[in-house]
Amino acid sequence: MIVCVAVVGHQNNPLYLESFTGGDDALKLHHIVHCSLDVIDERVNNPKRSASTLNETFLGLLYPTENYKVYGYLTNTKVKLIMVTTDLDVKDADVRSFFRKFHAAYVDAVSNPFHVPGKKITSNSFSERVGTIVKSFGHSMSL
Amino acid sequence: MGREVAESCIDGVIIEMVSAYSTRFYSSKPDVAARRIEAIGYQVGHQLSERYTMERPRFADHLEAIKFICKDFWTEVFKKQIDNLKTNHRGTFVLQDNHFRWLTRISLDPAVVANTEAASEGESGADSGAQMTSMLLYFPCGIIRGALTNLGIPCAVSADMSNLPACKFPCDTRQLVVLVF
Repeated sequence: MIVCVAVVGHQNNPLYLESFTGGDDALKLHHIVHCSLDVIDERVNNPKRSASTLNETFLGLLYPTENYKVYGYLTNTKVKLIMVTTDLDVKDADVRSFFRKFHAAYVDAVSNPFHVPGKKITSNSFSERVGTIVKSFGHSMSL
Repeated sequence: MGREVAESCIDGVIIEMVSAYSTRFYSSKPDVAARRIEAIGYQVGHQLSERYTMERPRFADHLEAIKFICKDFWTEVFKKQIDNLKTNHRGTFVLQDNHFRWLTRISLDPAVVANTEAASEGESGADSGAQMTSMLLYFPCGIIRGALTNLGIPCAVSADMSNLPACKFPCDTRQLVVLVF
């Protein structure tokens, strides 16, 4: 199950942060997201993988903690998408397809002419769409 | 890509927008009108670049991003590629389009055109026809600037149209020249 998703702008400014646990651990999850920004910076600035995966938008598993796994995705426009999950056995392909859908939702949200670039995304339809994507991720895992 | 819009509608909207800004809202201040039109283009380019770079790997350097603008972005927006890309390797790129789509259906008053040609080597080249066309180019300039800025390349874009409908877009990224090398 995905417990938290985040969109972070190119100056590391939070654009969207949502946790799905319903409990009061939101602060802890936000902290995890915050920590992952450093990992993303490190990955992008000191690439040590092979050339084929060098500039892929999907960054893979950023770091595992005791209970969570954190995945990252960096778009061409330097917007970071971060996802925290409690599933310990996650398929890469599932995460990829999750990020692809999440990115599409983000693009649609910022294409709204009333959205101010660089400001937080407040659109309700975006939240709803992200909620659906997050739910479908958990669902496909259990099948 | 899902929904599409007829090209003639886009042409009509752009021409009408430019004329509204330059003759109605800011008729006495053409520079303000130009800035406003450019700002609209900037937002459009900003959003389009987000969408069109969705399924591709990140760009390694500026040249790759400029090439993306010349090929894929141009094809999406103007249905053709850039004809010629020049650079001085110091951060200035010149994108030349010999048949710029958005200007192909602009008709100029023949008398005005004759005037412009007569005065082309003279000093009074800034007559109404040429001015009108140059106003139309602020919008695509803004689109290119918005797209490049969103891809992490702050720049200045201007348009040069000495022989229509050919069109040049010099993109000056000079602020970043240190990074380019």
